[in-house]
This record gives sequence, C-alpha cells and structure tokens, in this order.
Amino acid sequence: MINKILSILYKDYKIEIKQSHLFFSVGLYVVSSIYIIYISYQPTGILSSEHWVSIFWVIILFSSISAVSKSFFQESGNRNYYYYYVLSPDELIISKLIYNFLFIVFVTFLTFILFTFLLGNFITSYSFFISLLLIGSLSISNCLTLISAIGHQVKNNSMLISILSFPVIIPILILLIKLSKISSSEFSWNLIQDDIYLLILLNIILVFLTKILFSFLWRN
Amino acid sequence: MKLIKILSVILLIYTATAGFLFDVPRLPILNETIRVLYFHVPMWFTMIFLLLLSSINAYRFISTKNSKYDLKSYNYAHVGVCFGVLGIITGMIWANYTWGTFWTNDPKLNGSAIGLLIYFGYFILRNSVDDESKKAKISSVYNVFAFSMLIPLIFILPRLTDSLHPGNGGNPGFNVYDLNSQLRIVFYPAVIGFICLGLWITDIKSKIQQINND
Repeated sequence: MINKILSILYKDYKIEIKQSHLFFSVGLYVVSSIYIIYISYQPTGILSSEHWVSIFWVIILFSSISAVSKSFFQESGNRNYYYYYVLSPDELIISKLIYNFLFIVFVTFLTFILFTFLLGNFITSYSFFISLLLIGSLSISNCLTLISAIGHQVKNNSMLISILSFPVIIPILILLIKLSKISSSEFSWNLIQDDIYLLILLNIILVFLTKILFSFLWRN
Repeated sequence: MKLIKILSVILLIYTATAGFLFDVPRLPILNETIRVLYFHVPMWFTMIFLLLLSSINAYRFISTKNSKYDLKSYNYAHVGVCFGVLGIITGMIWANYTWGTFWTNDPKLNGSAIGLLIYFGYFILRNSVDDESKKAKISSVYNVFAFSMLIPLIFILPRLTDSLHPGNGGNPGFNVYDLNSQLRIVFYPAVIGFICLGLWITDIKSKIQQINND
C-alpha cells in the first residue's frame, strides 16, 4: 500500500514538473494578491495584528482552494479508469491528501515569507506560529480534498468548489485565526490548549470521513 | 405516522395557548420575552433533529443505493433548513427586544448562519447536476460531510468563547431561572410538537414528490 501511495505521489510530482505552468500559476496568484494588499495598505503598512492575521488567512484560503481544485482535474478520464483497476480508493485518497498537504504547505510558507518581507509581522512566538502553519495546512487540505473530489464529478466546478468549501472550512478558519491572534500577542499553553485539541479532533474526524466517503464517491 | 400527526396537533395547540397564557418568571430585561423559549429553541432542536435524520438517510443511501433514502434525505434537509430560517427570525425578534439589535457578532449567531449556508450550498449542488443517480450520490456524500462540520459550528465553538447567547460562554440558560418548572411544562411539549410537525411536513413532501415521479 505504501509503495503504491509513493508511486502515485511520484507520478503527481512528475506531472507537476511537466505542467509547471499550473504550479507557477498558483504561486503567481499568491504573489499578486499579496502585492495588491501591500499597495492598498500604503503608505503606513498594516498597523494592527488583527488585520494582518485575517488578511493572511484569507489569502491562504483562496490560494489553497485554487491549488487543491486542480489536483483532481489534472487526472484525465482514461487515467481514472486505469486507477480503478490498479488502486483501492483508500490508496488514491491518501496520496491525494498527502499531495495536497505538501502543496498547501508550500502556499502557506510562500504567503508567510512574502507577508513578512512586504508587510512585516507581529509574531512573538515563531516556533508556535510555524507549527500552527503546518497544522493549518493539514486541516485545510483535509477539508478541501473531499470537496475537490466532489467538484471533479460536477461540470460547473470551479464556482461550485468555492461555494461548497467556504462554509465547511469556516470552523477550522475561526480556530486558526484565533490561535494566530494569540501567537501575535502574549503566548501561553493555557490559552491555546482547548483550541488545539479541538483542531486535532476536527482533523481526525475529517480524515476518517474523507476516507469513508471517497470510496462511495469513486465507485462509478 | 398517525400518532405523530395527532401528537403534533395536540401539542402545538397546547404550546400556542399555554405558551402565551401561562405564568412565567419575572426577570429584568427579559420580561415577557422569555416566552420566546417555547418557539425559538424548539425550532433549532427540530432543525438539528431533521438534519441528523437527513444525514443518516444520506449515509443509508450511499451504502444501499436505494433512491428512496436519497429522496427522504433531501426532504429532511429542506424542511430542516426552513425550521432553521424560522429559528433565526424568531431569535432576531427576541434579540431586538433584549440586546437592542437584530444581529450581533456572536459565535452562536455566526455558527448558525454559516450552518444554514452549508445547506444552501447543498441545494445548489443538487440542482447543478443533471444525472439523477450522480446527483443523489454526490449530494449524499456532501450531506454527511457537511453535517459533521455543523456540529462543531453550533455546539462546540460557541462554548469555547464568550457569547451573549443564553446557555453559552458562561451565560446561564433557562434552567437556572426555572426554579419550579414553570417553563419546562410548556417547553418540552413544544419541542416534541415541533419535531412531530417537521416529520409530518417531510412525509407530505416525500409523498408529493413520489407521485410526481411516477
């Protein structure tokens, strides 16, 4: 099973190298949206951590939706037939989860670096914030993977993926925004304990549901 | 089903009369608006109950592929969302008299509004697919997924933060004021009555749809 997952990941990586315009388009999306924020906040720059945190996560949300929505579209119809014979749905969805996670980690860190470079940041505890970024990308990818699989089966999809994913992702985003605000003021374990546990719990639920529901969705 | 119908009629007549006429605890600010408990809270209970049934039926559909369950699941979601909208409206009227505004930035209010958005997304998803079997499969999968995200939104997140809403974030719920069960004797029948009404409406809707399909 692990071998198969690794080989799908390797194949996805190969496609990514070959069709690098998709990869760079997501990167450009992030860069240009951050540049718009940078210009619109001139000449003072962002002064409060609340603005910083909310704009930061909103940009990550939009760019990861466009990043994840392409993960299923690059599979052509014929290749899906091939997968159907060689792979179990679990193997496919786990590889997609890992692949989306890696992609969103890239998007998140690109956003963070650009934000720090152009707008500065308000982070007091870097180690906590970076682990929060990792957990955040994990939760966003867990949440969006199944939705993009649903969107893959519907024709008018790019619109639909955003409609379906916004409300579902909001509980996660609320927690992430709250935790980032804490990490930009004073930081202590007591303040974040409940939220972190809830986030981990939500992730476990999401992964299980994705795994169970995808096998039904895939069976055509 | 017959029992449900009779129960619903009797209990709702009782709720409507007793809810407006019986004695309630006199409290500052709340005054008579405490009677909203008999109408606002049962709406949400009914919504959650119907949406739970909807997602159970959705799961039954994807595991058995029987389109009867899909129809049921859709109807439960539809009626449940109608009750949710009524719950928001009654809550807004109450909020206008006690908090002085129709809408505030409160986790409970945001959670329930977003919860309704999830289900509006579900209806759009259903209408955007033409193929019947595909429509049923995709929307059932989304239904189960969406319901699991509704639970943290409505029940867990508001309890973690400060909230104006009674029963959340350290605010007392009605059971603190209800010393001699004045409120309970109307509240519990009201909940059962509204749930029965919801089941009844869903039943009629399913029957109409079945006749149209045949």
